[in-house]
Amino acid sequence: MRRLLAILPLILTAALVYILNKPMGSIPALGALLDPMNGCWASAEPTGKDFSQTIQLQGTQQPVKIWFDERLVAHIEAANDHDLYMAQGYVHAYFRLWQMDLQTRAAGGRVSEVLGDKAVDFDRLQRRKGMVYGAENSLKAMEADPRSKGMLDAYTEGINQYINSLNYRRLPLEYKMIGFKPEPWTNLKCALLLKYMADDLTGYTEDIQLTILRNRLKQENSMFNPNMLFDKVFAERNKGTVPVIPADTIPQIASLKAPITPADSIMCVPLTGEDFAVNENEGKGSNNWALSGSRTKSGAPILCNDPHLGLNLPSLWYEMQLHAPGVNVYGVSLPGSPGIIIGFNDNISWGFTNNYRDVKDFYAIKEPSANTYWFAGKELLYTNRIEQIRIKGKPDYNDTVRYTLHGPLIYDAHFIAPGKLKIPLALTWMAHRPSNEILSIYLLNRSSNYEQYVAAIQQFLCPAQNMLYADVQGNIALWGQGQFINKWRGQGRYIMDGSDSSTLWGQNIPVGENPHAFNPAQGYLASANQTVTDTTYPYWYNGYFYEFRSWRINQVLQRTTAATVQDMFALQQDVFSVLAANVLPVFLQHLPVHTLNNTERNWLQQLAGWDYRLTKDSKAATVFMVWWYYAYNRLATVGRTDDLKMSPERLMEMVTGRDDAPYMLDEDILYASFKQASDSLNKLQKANRLEWYHAKNTTVKHLTKLPAFSYGDLEVGGWGNTVNAVKGDHGPSWRMVVQMTKDIEAYGVYPGGQSGNPGSKYYATFLDKWVKGEYYRLSFVPAASKPNDKDIKYTWTIQP
Amino acid sequence: MQLLKYIIIIAICAGIATYLLPWYMAAAVAFVVTVNAKITPGKAFLAGFGGVGLTWLVVTLYRDIPNEHILSGRMAKVLGLPNGFLFLLVTIILGAIVGGMAGWSGGVMNKAFRK
Repeated sequence: MRRLLAILPLILTAALVYILNKPMGSIPALGALLDPMNGCWASAEPTGKDFSQTIQLQGTQQPVKIWFDERLVAHIEAANDHDLYMAQGYVHAYFRLWQMDLQTRAAGGRVSEVLGDKAVDFDRLQRRKGMVYGAENSLKAMEADPRSKGMLDAYTEGINQYINSLNYRRLPLEYKMIGFKPEPWTNLKCALLLKYMADDLTGYTEDIQLTILRNRLKQENSMFNPNMLFDKVFAERNKGTVPVIPADTIPQIASLKAPITPADSIMCVPLTGEDFAVNENEGKGSNNWALSGSRTKSGAPILCNDPHLGLNLPSLWYEMQLHAPGVNVYGVSLPGSPGIIIGFNDNISWGFTNNYRDVKDFYAIKEPSANTYWFAGKELLYTNRIEQIRIKGKPDYNDTVRYTLHGPLIYDAHFIAPGKLKIPLALTWMAHRPSNEILSIYLLNRSSNYEQYVAAIQQFLCPAQNMLYADVQGNIALWGQGQFINKWRGQGRYIMDGSDSSTLWGQNIPVGENPHAFNPAQGYLASANQTVTDTTYPYWYNGYFYEFRSWRINQVLQRTTAATVQDMFALQQDVFSVLAANVLPVFLQHLPVHTLNNTERNWLQQLAGWDYRLTKDSKAATVFMVWWYYAYNRLATVGRTDDLKMSPERLMEMVTGRDDAPYMLDEDILYASFKQASDSLNKLQKANRLEWYHAKNTTVKHLTKLPAFSYGDLEVGGWGNTVNAVKGDHGPSWRMVVQMTKDIEAYGVYPGGQSGNPGSKYYATFLDKWVKGEYYRLSFVPAASKPNDKDIKYTWTIQP
Repeated sequence: MQLLKYIIIIAICAGIATYLLPWYMAAAVAFVVTVNAKITPGKAFLAGFGGVGLTWLVVTLYRDIPNEHILSGRMAKVLGLPNGFLFLLVTIILGAIVGGMAGWSGGVMNKAFRK
């Protein structure tokens, strides 16, 4: 008995160890995590770490040298393309493996595998959108060209050699916290990452809500406020736009004839729906502009770009220089994809903003049976694609996604659409088509003049981008580049009748006919997600365009002469709100001031003499933006609170009386929204958070959303309606200014750091400078030069 | 004096074992050492507690100081602790308790099966 009892402590100890070694729900295995030898502590990177090392990388053909400057920007010098991209894969994985893994899992709907069943609906939506289907199609195109195939194969091999070199101790911290391990990288993952970007940039849609609203208003029209007629509120074009492509440069000739628009009931199926999530629609996107030498002090063009994307850590971007025979390029890369996405080389520089032409359309499907659907009077069989979703700790979930001629049924009885629609909806999306953006990047990185640049971007089909160009010869150019369809007027703006053959997407518009401008008379080019062309462009399109930033940028650039890079920094930091400058005077004029109480009047006084700038410390900015928020929510809806709202640009035009028809600003709404604003402002004041940056609380979030790995309450001004479009979790993800003098002078900064490790000194190194609106001089080494020894902080020698 | 000897033996062996193998080998080491040692269960607990605790203390400091507490500060926030020092303490106490339990188990077994 005594001996039996003696085993008891051992059993207790074993139980304790067992508990500490087992994850419980979302809590990781604490013993393994806290283990100082192998657990989270292993990610505590010494701040003085010497990164220099010699690496054996099987499959490289020649030695590769990588040097890092003091910001840990990698400069790869390889003897051939294969070694270059293999080294790039290795470097990306070394600094950013977990992020690459998670982002591609998210793209392909495989998050449940690591996070459990809470992510199943997310994964199903990704699969049903056709993310994997699209990536597989693109991969075929990428692997069909030896240049992109070679690039991908080498890149993937580099990542895998790094993964294979890891043991548990060296795994990135997040793997240990969430409890999973990296799996081998594949070329498909690169394709998935590009689809992830395509989804981020072309995935937004209003088609379903717009259809339902149009149908309802058609019935109710006469009873409504005459200001609110559908066509007026949701006009096809924003008025007063200064288009991406200046009016005088549009090619007038279209090689394709516009197809005939079918009957209204086919263009917009009669549907009703309810209970939408309230959409937020205020200026996301990016800016780019280029000045000709005629407008700069140096006489050389200056190109600027700040793509606005989700503000996350680890950052979406990794900064580097790639140098091999035939290529010497610097800029930002996407960990998970080979090449440099935005940047410059010895001869040219380029930058992207999202184009926002609508390339994602929906079809109402009529199904006579569970296996068939109507198309052109025939009953066709669905093609089934079984999507196997693995779930951590649970049995697999198999989702059968049915494919039509149009594309996958994204929503049906098993996966209900927003608005609780009863009928199945099929999706046609440019991101489903095979396209080889990797080849485009390959060629772009090697372009040394305008002709080569144009040839390179012709391969870039989705996500469509406004691709800006400047070169050392003094040229500037801009292309609204992507693959677009020759649509009939109205095609794809609403849910179409999928049984009618006229709704099928028609011919591709030849890429060479995409709107573009080369050295325009105005001496500059600028895009900020505004309408792409004026009305002389021969093809019909719709899209989700934003105008405020474009108005401001054009206003500033039109009067800019002898510009310096410092002037360009200032414009990227510009927080003048065109919205406020136009709307506030009208609001103040119509606000019934005599009905306000004392507290409300105090708030009103804050606005006196305000310069319409959303500077970080401005309290007036907070008062206006809070008031605008409430007023917009009420003024911009047609009837119900969950209705699709008109754009802020449209509302601004209506209230400022720039419209053809008179508009009566509802004073009761202005007053009620000011009262609401006053209540919110009182709360902000109590919390001592009245300064604009406190009120908006810009946060750069770690991908797990853990506050401990994130940076909040950043002291930075601006909003979506200002050039410096820093919102709560979205904003300038890379600011770049390149002066195309003979020795290229380039500056840049992104809100993050080169290392993805939250235990590293380099995790968020650049954030402070980004917040302050400062830039780094980029240490680009021209092809003909050698790096300065003093710039070289660490060196990697890669041996075959 | 004997206790100190066992603490040091456990500390060294636990360090080597967990460098090569998973963390719970520290417990196995504490058990194996104390089950073969002629000490009371109470002292065996202290040997395990002190031995594994010492290893974890040394390794944690070795990681934390050159890192200038970046990681410990963040992890403390993850666990809702006010500062990185407490995270360090929690780590060491966790290791020490596991070691102590294992040492005690060894001591009790040794006593029960000793002729």
